[in-house]
Amino acid sequence: MNRKTDIVVVGSGLAGMSAALTAAQSGKKVTLLTHGAGTLAISSGCIDVLGYLNGVRVADPFESMATLPAEHPYSLIGGAETVREAIDWLKSVCRKGGIDMAHAAEEGNHTLITVMGTLKPSYLCPDSFNPDCLKDVHRAAVVTVENMKDVHPGLIIDQLHRYAELSDKEFMEAVLPCPIEHAHRNITPLDIARHVETPEGMKWLEKSLMPYAKLYPVLLLPPICGMKHSQQIWNQLCSALKVKIIEMVSIPPGVAGLRMRDVLKKALNAAGVYMVESAEVVRAEVEEGRCKTVHTLTASGEDAWEADSFIIATGGLLSGGISTAPGKAWESIFQLSLDAPADTEAWSSPDIFGSSFFASMGVKVNHELKPLNGEGNVCLDNVRFAGRVLGGYDFAAEKSGNGVALATGRYAGMLAGKE
Amino acid sequence: MKHTTVVIIGGGATGIGILRDLSMRGVKAVLLEQGGIASGASSRFHGLLHSGGRYAVKDNEAARECIEENMILRRIGRECVEESEGFFVLSQQDDPAYEKPWVEACAKAGIKTEPVDVKEALRLEPNLDPGIKAVYRVPDSSVDGFRLVWHNAMSARRYGGEMLTHHEVFAIDQEGGKVKGVRARNLVTGEEVCISCDVVVNAAGSWAAKVVELVGLEVGVQPDRGTLVAFNHRFTSRVINRLHMSSDGDIFVPHGSITILGTTSFHADRPDAHEAPTEDVLKLLDIGEVLIPNLRSYRILRAFAGTRPLYVAKGSAAGRAASRGFHISDHSEEGLDGMFSIFGGKFTTYRLMAEKLCDLVCEKLGVHAECRTAVEPLIADPSPAMMEKAAKYFPVHSVPLVANRLGDAFPIVVEKAAAMKSNPLLCECEMVTRAEIEYVASDPSSHSMTDVRLRTRLGMGTCQGTYCSLRTIGALTECRVPFPLSPADNLRDFLQERWKGLRPALWGLQAREMELGRAVYAATLNIDGARDEQKN
Ligand SMILES: Cc1cc2nc3c(=O)[nH]c(=O)nc-3n(C[C@H](O)[C@H](O)[C@H](O)COP(=O)(O)OP(=O)(O)OC[C@H]3O[C@@H](n4cnc5c(N)ncnc54)[C@H](O)[C@@H]3O)c2cc1C
Ligand SMILES: Cc1cc2nc3c(=O)[nH]c(=O)nc-3n(C[C@H](O)[C@H](O)[C@H](O)COP(=O)(O)OP(=O)(O)OC[C@H]3O[C@@H](n4cnc5c(N)ncnc54)[C@H](O)[C@@H]3O)c2cc1C
Repeated sequence: MNRKTDIVVVGSGLAGMSAALTAAQSGKKVTLLTHGAGTLAISSGCIDVLGYLNGVRVADPFESMATLPAEHPYSLIGGAETVREAIDWLKSVCRKGGIDMAHAAEEGNHTLITVMGTLKPSYLCPDSFNPDCLKDVHRAAVVTVENMKDVHPGLIIDQLHRYAELSDKEFMEAVLPCPIEHAHRNITPLDIARHVETPEGMKWLEKSLMPYAKLYPVLLLPPICGMKHSQQIWNQLCSALKVKIIEMVSIPPGVAGLRMRDVLKKALNAAGVYMVESAEVVRAEVEEGRCKTVHTLTASGEDAWEADSFIIATGGLLSGGISTAPGKAWESIFQLSLDAPADTEAWSSPDIFGSSFFASMGVKVNHELKPLNGEGNVCLDNVRFAGRVLGGYDFAAEKSGNGVALATGRYAGMLAGKE
Repeated sequence: MKHTTVVIIGGGATGIGILRDLSMRGVKAVLLEQGGIASGASSRFHGLLHSGGRYAVKDNEAARECIEENMILRRIGRECVEESEGFFVLSQQDDPAYEKPWVEACAKAGIKTEPVDVKEALRLEPNLDPGIKAVYRVPDSSVDGFRLVWHNAMSARRYGGEMLTHHEVFAIDQEGGKVKGVRARNLVTGEEVCISCDVVVNAAGSWAAKVVELVGLEVGVQPDRGTLVAFNHRFTSRVINRLHMSSDGDIFVPHGSITILGTTSFHADRPDAHEAPTEDVLKLLDIGEVLIPNLRSYRILRAFAGTRPLYVAKGSAAGRAASRGFHISDHSEEGLDGMFSIFGGKFTTYRLMAEKLCDLVCEKLGVHAECRTAVEPLIADPSPAMMEKAAKYFPVHSVPLVANRLGDAFPIVVEKAAAMKSNPLLCECEMVTRAEIEYVASDPSSHSMTDVRLRTRLGMGTCQGTYCSLRTIGALTECRVPFPLSPADNLRDFLQERWKGLRPALWGLQAREMELGRAVYAATLNIDGARDEQKN
């Protein structure tokens, strides 16, 4: 089977979805092929843009962008202006989809609260994660649900008190009874968020929070305020209980990431993007430096997908966009070499969070996000890369994962849309 | 100042074995260990309870010691030894001429060997190379070194033996040609402790030469590094050896749900040369493929290394050719009365080594009690009533595992679990519940999450700590276990320790797992940033 569209996007993480939606909004016919759900689905759903530069906390991510090295994805796509535009665009997509995203009250990053009681700089977050209201109060309750193994108020409070700005606040532990059947199984915020999406679950949450809401002006919760209707549920809880609720950033499964993914999927559908799930691209046909088709593997055999241009947003090691073997690393579909040091020990830093080849390996591209060969020349003229598959940055240490995915995905979609 | 009769330096299998033996004979003893219990070679090893087959041709005496001790440990340490067996396999690359002398040497040492039809062997071990030429069954088995040492320690404590972990001995005091005591530093608090005593036993393994240097003497102990690779699958049911002259990378030892392949042998310049180089890992994969052709398809969990305390008599060969037998020096022969060193040997023979050493010490002290370590089990079997009670508070299928792991502490942990509102499983890979973690963490020998990991095996399974470490530090912080490090620092150290084991094999599936680990702990929880931003 051979199908033809204007643009084929591979990967449905934040980068692939941003690219596909942008290209479709500019009038192109777009096919999105994807194997899995991407890391957005397991992440916090907050858009980290830039939190640290060489291990030093940045005050304003956009100001600091100017000092990034030339090969950093942000530098390649034009820096602060391009990134800001992408963020405004995402905000409007989310608003239409029912999630209000919030900037920090002052210039620069938010300081989000995590379920470990650590603080994390991030630029844009759903309203329900906005921690600003904590500044104005002295007391807050830290809430968990019985048997939620990954959320311990005792740990959170111990940790929060270690930060100068929170050391004099009074926090109280609160444990809500578990509203669902579990039998030895771990209860995750996702389980509860799904329950809260039901009228019965919503009633349970409101009722269980009531006694704490009477005593504390702010309640810190794991991300459990619903799924599809999270914004409404959160608004309703805050006004009914007359408190501010702050959802805390949690580890996988990613509740808020799933909420955002859902909004983006609906937008893709509305924009006419043809999305094929459980479709793994296993190879590509390349002729004279241009990609002709990419091929997916299904039970019935191989399907070929033809397009004028391709956007590859297949993620990093975790999602399969990058493959490795002793002394070798390559991009998985076109087998572009990533110039790995032959000595595997030189890949990593002794510090797990230190900077290294391992932390920032990825495809080298030019300012149009087209891949470069060893000599620095474009080697695939109608192919662009976006998101974690790109090299030149360490999303984990910098706190820039979703920021780079969004900005490069949108930029690749815009460029392909103009062709 | 504290006084005791004997001070033992080193908390590996040998030192703890000695503490147990002396305590059972009624001799007062204190053991000092610079790290945690069994943090040296006794946990950085292959976990093979040798049948002796490996040494039969080259060192028949050592082989005999192995088989005798093997049978004893299966009895006294049932909870620590897997009920499995071993195969010796003649691969296509091995010299068939070795087969006959090997069978004869095994018979001479008292090791039962039984030829197994190749077809039958392949049915039992389908991952073996179909081209293998001959197979013998031997009484090899897998031993959990960490647990065995701990069970020895529990037994010793029951008899009044004392141990101080994280205490490094830095001086041995003497007067008039006789030892007077030792001085040690508590590495957690920085405090100094002095203990006066009549006898000092140096059981410092690869560090033995360094300890002897403290009194200005010399012993021929040479650290020899061996690298091991742990895979995330049990792809053989039994221990698999190559039927050839002992060499690198020729043994697979299955433990629970994982398999360990090893080992290499390189001269090490330090006793703590615990870095496992990629070069060794690749070499092991190359050699291992001869027996298990699809070896590279399995995910590597970690690579690690230990150093063997090899005895080299002056002028003789080091490395594999050096003796695996053990040696005891009575330093009174060199003019220092009351000091003994014991080194060399194998984990399998730790009990015998301890017995011989304690015989000498008792003779010196004029104590006539007999050694009973070969007959008395390390721990008593839990009562059926206790097992039944445990099933109410632990996942039912994990009860025997938990009972074996905890030994003496099992009833205490069951009571603790019974008193808790609920006893959730914190580590799903290794079936560790909150009650067990809280108990182990509050033991005076635990100072960090890494200590808790070593004893419970928390974070040693498939997820390598990515999921269980957050909930563990949460539970520990909540029950206010007083660790010197902050929760974030504790967690960082814990992850750092796991990272060390993965760096030499950072490709394929394990590289993927590490990207996830960094994403959870740095991108989501920012514990890297917390380092500078939190005050402690
Ligand atoms: C646990 C976790 C938590 C995180 N938390 C945050 C956070 O709080 N804030 C933040 O800003 N960032 C966070 N990040 C980082 C951030 O999620 C990523 O950097 C970013 O989302 C990457 O997006 P992407 O679209 O480039 O790649 P991915 O999300 O990895 O998507 C890749 C997509 O490509 C598909 N794919 C791969 N290969 C093929 C193929 N051959 N054929 C077809 N499809 C294929 C995959 O199935 C997937 O859909 C987190 C990451 C993780 C893992
Ligand atoms: C790679 C490898 C694989 C092996 N495989 C096997 C096997 O499969 N089967 C088998 O039977 N044997 C095996 N062995 C051998 C076995 O591991 C060792 O012989 C045995 O563990 C030695 O125990 P030990 O107590 O003498 O030494 P260790 O366990 O090393 O104990 C010595 C202790 O002394 C402490 N110490 C040192 N200096 C001081 C000081 N100044 N103050 C306080 N404490 C101090 C150290 O911290 C250490 O914990 C293997 C060895 C290696 C290296």
